[in-house]
Amino acid sequence: MFLLAALFPLLPGVEGWMVSQVSLIIIYIIAAQGVALLVGYTGLVTVGHGGFLAIGAYTSALLTKHLGVDLSLGLIASGIVAGLIGYALGFVFLHLSGAFMAIGTLGFSFFVGAIINNVPIFEGRTGISLPANHVFGMKIGDFGFYFVAIVSLALTTVLIYALVRSGVGRAFMALRDSEKAAESCGINRVFYRTLAFSISAAITGIAGALNGHITNYISSEVYADIWYSVDFLVACVVGGSAMLMGPFIGGAFIVMVPFFFEKLADLAFILKGVVLIAVLLLAPAGVADLLARPIRAWRRRQLAAAKAASSPQPMMTRPSTGGR
Amino acid sequence: MASYLRCENVTIRFGGVVACDGVNLDIEEGKIIGLIGPNGAGKTTLFNALSRFQSYESGSIFYRGASIDRMKSHEIVKLGVARTFQNIRLFGEQTTLANILIGTHRLIGNPIANMLWLPWARDNERRLLRRATEIAEMLHIENELDTLVKNLPYGVQKRVELARALAADPEIILLDEPVAGCNDEEITDIREIVHRLNRELGLTIFLVEHNMSLVMSVCDYIYVINFGSNLAEGTPDEIRNNSAVIGAYLGEEYHR
Repeated sequence: MFLLAALFPLLPGVEGWMVSQVSLIIIYIIAAQGVALLVGYTGLVTVGHGGFLAIGAYTSALLTKHLGVDLSLGLIASGIVAGLIGYALGFVFLHLSGAFMAIGTLGFSFFVGAIINNVPIFEGRTGISLPANHVFGMKIGDFGFYFVAIVSLALTTVLIYALVRSGVGRAFMALRDSEKAAESCGINRVFYRTLAFSISAAITGIAGALNGHITNYISSEVYADIWYSVDFLVACVVGGSAMLMGPFIGGAFIVMVPFFFEKLADLAFILKGVVLIAVLLLAPAGVADLLARPIRAWRRRQLAAAKAASSPQPMMTRPSTGGR
Repeated sequence: MASYLRCENVTIRFGGVVACDGVNLDIEEGKIIGLIGPNGAGKTTLFNALSRFQSYESGSIFYRGASIDRMKSHEIVKLGVARTFQNIRLFGEQTTLANILIGTHRLIGNPIANMLWLPWARDNERRLLRRATEIAEMLHIENELDTLVKNLPYGVQKRVELARALAADPEIILLDEPVAGCNDEEITDIREIVHRLNRELGLTIFLVEHNMSLVMSVCDYIYVINFGSNLAEGTPDEIRNNSAVIGAYLGEEYHR
């Protein structure tokens, strides 16, 4: 799938701006993946991931501008820095949950905003202009950047796919559903909660670095705002936060709505709100879940058919109410 | 005498209420030990202290001779102590299989290797999956592996919870009212399962229970507490004929 997507810029008639637009979608998808890991799988609501986006963006920006670091290293460094700060934040918010967690993380994004607005090295509202993007020493344009983005997305997707199916993913979901029961299974709440925070922040941090390099310019005017945080959360909720495809749908939705309503920016806002409410009412688990329902029903029928075929006795020989 | 889990003078207070007042308890290896007492005697509080869900003011709890006073609830699972809850605490939105797999958590090895599906972690995951299905078969819930737990009947949920505790490969398992709210058929089932776990797997079992027929038929040794203190202890026959226990809890009908 990612290979097919990587061929997209080679299609005839595709122009630089289209490629950039798709790159932007990819960035939003990655950021939303980070948020979804926390919201959907670990059950911690975050309205502060704009802060991690900013941390990632500024880490890579400062490294590439002042030290002339390669974009690939910049991405890795932003993931690490955001991950470490996420780890620390996980400790600070260890005892928060639900709405309190939302407010706490919101506070964190304001905190990051205040820092990038006021600490001189971040150049506040003047912003930082970045040098042209270099990957492995080669200068890249819109098309090259697209490949960097799609490779990053492929890596984060594989990571999340593996993670949520592993024992660690099970521990995240156990903590989400019942902390007491999870602890009775030997799951270390402190460790796994901070780990979830850390990985989530690292993924969104990488998206932040990409987001800075796509325009080669970052300033606190954009990154100190809370709209990123809100957008990512909306992307998760609309797409479906506990499913692999959720951030893909949500990320594309968040980027494409303002794109289609370029001249009517207010309408785009309204539309986002309307869709969010509609999704919450009609498909609380997200659009991805809505799309997956018929597939799941089909698979269940297949399973039932296979079961019936393998056992000659009728299914009712063992009542499901227990007893033998 | 090899004692597995031992309580010495455990005292627990909730404000002015003394829930446990210097309770002593000795759980021997390979035995089925019961804890009974009237409502409010402090049974569940003591049970929670044993599984470290409840802190205690004074006294000590030892596991294989080592103090677990400073351990957290998730740490004692790693020692081999698993528990169930009185009011089932399962992951309702997840399947039976997922629930049992969560129980295998202490066997996942290095979490980072596990998370990245490194080769040896992959083998381990396969082992855990096999373990989970074997346990499901042992408890006769193998047909419900793909069912969401919240859709299962109560008696089956009780067994899923037991399966989840067993999945951790414990040496001792603490059961908090394993048959509360179960019908006669389910009670017969649980009794047989408890016996088998003890005989075939060599598990030490500690259970808090109000159902006297279960307690009297499965336990090797019984502790009775009343108002937070030890009232009596002994074999089922001794307990049945203990006048203090009859007066405080059992009533005349259990006296032969």
